[in-house]
Amino acid sequence: MKSDVIPDPAVRPGVRPGTAGGHDEAPPARDGDGGAPHRRAARPGRSRRRWGRAGLVALLVVVSVPFVFPTWWMATSSLKPMSEILRSVPTLWPQDPSFAAYGEVFRLQPFAQQYWNSLYIAVLVTAGTILVSAMAGYAFARIRFPGANALFLLVLVGLLVPSEVTIVPLFRMVNSLGLIDTHWPLVVIPVFGAPSVLATFIMRQYFLGLPGELEEAGRMDGLGRWGIFWRIAFPLSRSALSAVAIFTFLKSWNLYLEPIVYLSSKDAFTLPQALTQYVDAYGGPMWNVQLAATTLTVLPVLAVFLVAQKQFVQGLAHTGLKG
Amino acid sequence: MNSTTTRRTRAAATGAAAVAALLALTACGGDGQGAAGEPETPDEPVDLRMTVWTADETQLAQFQEIADAYVEANPDLVSGVTFEPVPFEDYTTSLTTQLAGGNAPDLAWILESYAPEFVESGALVDVGPVLEQTEGYEYDDLLDSSLSLWQKDGGLYAYPFSNSPFGIFVNTDQVEAAGQENPADLVAAGDWTYDNARDIAAAAAEKSGKQGLVVRDFDFQAWENLSSVWDGWGAAPWSEDGTQCTFTDPAMVDALTWIHDATFTDGAMPGPGTTADFFAGDAAMTITQISRASSLDDSFAWDVVPLPAGPAGQQNVIGQAGIGVFAAGEHPDVAADFLAWFTNPENAATLAAYFPPPRESLLNAADLAAANPLLSEEQLQAVVVDGIQDAVTKPTHQNFAKLQETVRAQLDGLWTADADVEAVLTDTCGAIQPLLED
Amino acid sequence: MPGSALRRRDAAVGYTMVAPAVLGAVAFVVAPLVAVVWYSLHEWNVLASTFTFTGGDNYARMLEDPGLRDSLVASLWFSVGLVVLNVTLALGLAVLLNQRLPGTTTFRTFFFSPVVVSLVAWTIVWSFLLQADGGINGFLSTVGIDGPNWLRGETTAMLSVIVVQVFKNVGLNMILFLAALQGVPEEIQEAARIDGAGAWRRFRSITLPLISPTLLLVSILTIVGSLEVFAQIAVLTGGGPGTSTTVLVYYLYQQAFRFNDFGYASAVSVLLFVIVLVLTLVQWQTRKRWVFHEV
Repeated sequence: MKSDVIPDPAVRPGVRPGTAGGHDEAPPARDGDGGAPHRRAARPGRSRRRWGRAGLVALLVVVSVPFVFPTWWMATSSLKPMSEILRSVPTLWPQDPSFAAYGEVFRLQPFAQQYWNSLYIAVLVTAGTILVSAMAGYAFARIRFPGANALFLLVLVGLLVPSEVTIVPLFRMVNSLGLIDTHWPLVVIPVFGAPSVLATFIMRQYFLGLPGELEEAGRMDGLGRWGIFWRIAFPLSRSALSAVAIFTFLKSWNLYLEPIVYLSSKDAFTLPQALTQYVDAYGGPMWNVQLAATTLTVLPVLAVFLVAQKQFVQGLAHTGLKG
Repeated sequence: MNSTTTRRTRAAATGAAAVAALLALTACGGDGQGAAGEPETPDEPVDLRMTVWTADETQLAQFQEIADAYVEANPDLVSGVTFEPVPFEDYTTSLTTQLAGGNAPDLAWILESYAPEFVESGALVDVGPVLEQTEGYEYDDLLDSSLSLWQKDGGLYAYPFSNSPFGIFVNTDQVEAAGQENPADLVAAGDWTYDNARDIAAAAAEKSGKQGLVVRDFDFQAWENLSSVWDGWGAAPWSEDGTQCTFTDPAMVDALTWIHDATFTDGAMPGPGTTADFFAGDAAMTITQISRASSLDDSFAWDVVPLPAGPAGQQNVIGQAGIGVFAAGEHPDVAADFLAWFTNPENAATLAAYFPPPRESLLNAADLAAANPLLSEEQLQAVVVDGIQDAVTKPTHQNFAKLQETVRAQLDGLWTADADVEAVLTDTCGAIQPLLED
Repeated sequence: MPGSALRRRDAAVGYTMVAPAVLGAVAFVVAPLVAVVWYSLHEWNVLASTFTFTGGDNYARMLEDPGLRDSLVASLWFSVGLVVLNVTLALGLAVLLNQRLPGTTTFRTFFFSPVVVSLVAWTIVWSFLLQADGGINGFLSTVGIDGPNWLRGETTAMLSVIVVQVFKNVGLNMILFLAALQGVPEEIQEAARIDGAGAWRRFRSITLPLISPTLLLVSILTIVGSLEVFAQIAVLTGGGPGTSTTVLVYYLYQQAFRFNDFGYASAVSVLLFVIVLVLTLVQWQTRKRWVFHEV
């Protein structure tokens, strides 16, 4: 470790962008393949370091197994016949791969329709949550008004209520409004109710860290509160919003209890609910079809994450989550 | 300060209004109990809704066809019937949430274990009179033994549309490979006993490296499925009237000791934490409902035989499911009328493809064979037709859900190799006796 | 005074901006909670549609309910185990991934991937793996270890449920930590390095304090989340063996939806809510002692 004592010229104090204006600029070489611009190539500790790093990579590989294997198994099992899936010592690759289950997925249910339902609900919820949480987060963080703390605490209560606790009264409310078997409760309740509270919290933390000078500058330019929010604060919070968007989308995408309770016709079902419907005549799950459907719901989201993860992590890194 | 006060007042007002709206709802609720009557023609044709736990397309299409014919025949009564598939796992949750929310379905499938709870609760209407009076229904054709679970004080609170006997499916390939006698031959010779079944299972498991005899769906959780075994000992979890625990009776102690030893000593049954699917070829034999035959393909040779005899003789067991009409539904009379249509002789014959009906006239091998091409007439005669006669159902109780959970937790102590069967059962009785007296 | 007029206008904007969130909280969180408190004062059997005011009976019953006691103990073990394991692992992975190792992007995707997978599918796969003769024991036997029957032993069942849950969700916390770590200014680390501080020392004295707000958020979210665990228990253990994994939410669910005892279930809900509230308040109140930045 003594070999590290030479400070890296690339990270001299003051070089890193410290103002909000530079937030979306990636810090140099935070990601990637070890090609960091550190000048230690000819150091004596080099081989020891290399071994140490190889050891760390090996550790990562081992630790990855319990994370990756179940997903791998799920995806490959969708290509297996039932009897092979149920083998208690799992097989890594199907003996005789077949895509038949994927055909069944669409034949047995209006799966495309259900996919669309989940997608548009998740998008609406995400958009709505972004709006509601950004506004509330901004006001709680930047505007002083009487009772702000009390109202914030009131909102925070939503973070603490398990959905099992309130499902019965919420169902009664939805039913009395005649909205059973519609998508309204799956959009409106998450946007305004408990599920959006975490987003409000994250946004508030982000806006707390916003330099006051920016608002001053906006005010000088003659902007009112709304103008400052829309033109300055909201665009600056892109990174925090991307984090909120991913959280929110995933939560809506995977919602299980609520759709089961609120929806009753197959055309209205969402994906997690649809997955449970691939059963044989006696309620026994058709594993290969269920796993094929599950794979279809997981892979696109995973692909999006793979592409967007850099922005996602950096987005979070610049939110108020760090303090 | 001023605006805060206004704000608070307004927030409080909104909250109060919302709460009031919620509470107004709690006041309503059907008072149940009455018998369904002749449906009066409503101002406008109504929509009926039936919750079911099947998601099978063929079955749902069949239901819909029957329902559409009803709508056509009664255009001024109903405008449509919807079958609402709810996942089996979440069925009761979903149904109770709907009831709690004041959104009761008109009709619902009801699990046999919950039958007494539903029948006693007053949530269902008496459909007996409507079925009896419906022309061409042939109410007398219904088997008394099938109806008894769903009756109270002379009323019939649900129609048992499915009466599927338990039998043993045998993987004859595996049995033969182990050089064991064919169970069907033992049946013919009158030697088909649980002890013989155990020995064959143990030998087959030894030979195949797979499992022997699997009580399907038991999985060391749903202990009520073991009743298909202990009925052969004449054992029962509680007394006939449901007030006394009988887990400690000698018959039950013997039966559970037999199961314990078959599992942990003889290797004839899979131990806890082992999943073996007979239909995937993982086991030599399985005890399950005959209706599961549809899960079989031709990947191995199989047979189906009646349940073996225990020390107390041979006892047939059936699993039932009922259709009830909710008193809290909007149109109980119309719903009951539809039930009479849905289960009339003609439609019952159609449904027999999946659900053995409680109708004597339909319970013959020839009729059933037409609906169940996978099974031979001999198999149907032996297992289904004879199996429904004098059959008992799995244990049920008015307080079943709590009993199920409590017994499950207690019996977990039984499923270890060195368990003291009698001690565990004494504890079990200690735990459930208060629930039985409730 | 123009200043106060401005402030008033500002306040009006503030109220407008928080209105959707606040009204939403009142309608969809507070009102249902009030309703649940109201239900908890009743004997409510949905099937029999009885709804009778019984005052504090349900609460009195809670005091003498051994099942509830067991479920509180189970919840305690579950939450403590989950929080410790989850936070430690998330932080460890984040630190590893912050080392500029080759393949970091891939590993990050690996660790995050379970977050995307549906909970039910994830749990079902693990229930196969954890069987007596399942994949894990199959693997252990190749290295000469005779694995236990994971889901059937009281301790191992609890451990299994915790670990399955940790693998499912640790990726999210890891990302939060990773983000926080990347926000730690490198120059401070370098300065400490020059001062001769070792890696552990630097982690303890610089990194940890700087990421402590994230630590607070993560531990609050994880504790709250741990008290809401349901599907995992239902699929993996069904609350057993015995009642060893019957955590509070599972117990509540049983009371409401299996036993149709909505009044009592509502009382348990109220208890659950109070526990979550108290835990969070305690964490929030003590934050000044261990959180470096004011949040």
